[in-house]
Amino acid sequence: MENNNVLGDLHLTVRELSNVYEELSLLYKLSELFSTLNVNEICENLVNEAVATVGVKTAAVLFLNGGNQTLYTRACKGNWDKNRIVDGGTEFIADVLEQGKPMAFCKFEEVAPEDYFPGLKSVLLCPLAGKGKTIGLMILADKSSENEFYSNDVKLLRVISTQAAMAIENAFLYQEIEDLLLGTIKSFVKALETTTQWTAGHTERVTIYALGIAEEIGLDEKQIERLRICSLLHDIGKIAIPRDILNKKEPLEYEEWMEIGRHPLVGATILSGLRAFDDILDGIKYHHEHWDGKGLFGLKGKDIPLMSRILAVADAFDAMTSDRPYRARKNIDETLKEILELSGKQFDPSVVEAFYSWINRQHRAFLP
Amino acid sequence: MSKVMIIDDEPFILMMIEDKLKKAGIKVITLRESVNAISAVKDEKPDLIILDWMMPELSGIDLCKMLKSDPDTAEIPIFMLTAKGQEADEQLGIKCGVARYITKPFSPKALLSIVEETIGKQ
Repeated sequence: MENNNVLGDLHLTVRELSNVYEELSLLYKLSELFSTLNVNEICENLVNEAVATVGVKTAAVLFLNGGNQTLYTRACKGNWDKNRIVDGGTEFIADVLEQGKPMAFCKFEEVAPEDYFPGLKSVLLCPLAGKGKTIGLMILADKSSENEFYSNDVKLLRVISTQAAMAIENAFLYQEIEDLLLGTIKSFVKALETTTQWTAGHTERVTIYALGIAEEIGLDEKQIERLRICSLLHDIGKIAIPRDILNKKEPLEYEEWMEIGRHPLVGATILSGLRAFDDILDGIKYHHEHWDGKGLFGLKGKDIPLMSRILAVADAFDAMTSDRPYRARKNIDETLKEILELSGKQFDPSVVEAFYSWINRQHRAFLP
Repeated sequence: MSKVMIIDDEPFILMMIEDKLKKAGIKVITLRESVNAISAVKDEKPDLIILDWMMPELSGIDLCKMLKSDPDTAEIPIFMLTAKGQEADEQLGIKCGVARYITKPFSPKALLSIVEETIGKQ
């Protein structure tokens, strides 16, 4: 008799441990699933995981709208309209958001206003709350097995949504830092462009050309993003060059050219205190190097960083096709001819080639 | 009735998989030692073997090699249980004829569905 009891207990323990093991494996999987900074990806993964783990027909992730009390659909699967907006003030929705606890409604039509979520019979609501504030909520509806929601379903959903909320919060924080960084860059560029006449718009155009070349060469998304920042900041060192030289109407003297020639190094030095720019410092420092080694620092060929070689062509093209205080601009065909002549001397031939094929694909109307 | 043999030195893992598969109507044979496994496999002729990689005396991978080189047992599909972070060994396992890799901690539910999928195919 006693032996039977022990066996029964053991059996129950194994079942219980099995559930814990299931949860543990889920946690391992989630940490991989949510290790991205892309909020859309996190939400898609969250919906898919909830559908698979809890076994439901419908799942949706709703985010709270910053200003007012509505929730909009961010990701969904099953019987849910992707454009659906939900009023956060509705009693049972507000309860879930305020109390921060999941709630299950086995007969949804009994609590909700008629046709609130058309077609959904049993509904499980779970808040999405990070360390800071509530981001939104998750809705699961109608188990594939036609069963009711069990306490274990609620537990699993809670595990998934807590992990997801933290990942989303991280992604938002990261986004904030990135915006701050980009804002800083734009302020730097503004500071430079407002003090000299001819640089207005130069940075922006060089960036467009440089990214065109990068696209042609086939750089990956991350490299393109770094090149974009590098292009935006490539002339930042000109802040330190006397205004009267930059704005001089007569052709420049040798000493004045030498003074202007300091700007790549000055730019790199100014930015060297900011860790976020570590990988673009050399790109800025060497953007006036020549392929044949006759540039400012005497770097040659592929010893010059690729970013700098791209910038050199983009920068020269814009300089030649823009008016300068001391000379008028050249037309586009003349400029292209000159760049081609300098290929292999001042410029990397493969970059020049990429620039040519990019520019030939552009509509002439958009070019200078 | 399909028959699955599980070989693992951890009793809890054995009990847990046994419980899950039995509930689904699969016959289960468990072994806590790998040393005498060859003769047990020959006697029982299971449809599938679930092996733990890390076992004292004879490791899962060595046992797998032995089973795959014996014509009597070579055709039996083998699932290998490995610990998290051992993924690098997967290539070695695949070379030795492992059909599926199961990383611990695994989901018992997911394991059952791939077991059913594999023995259903035969």
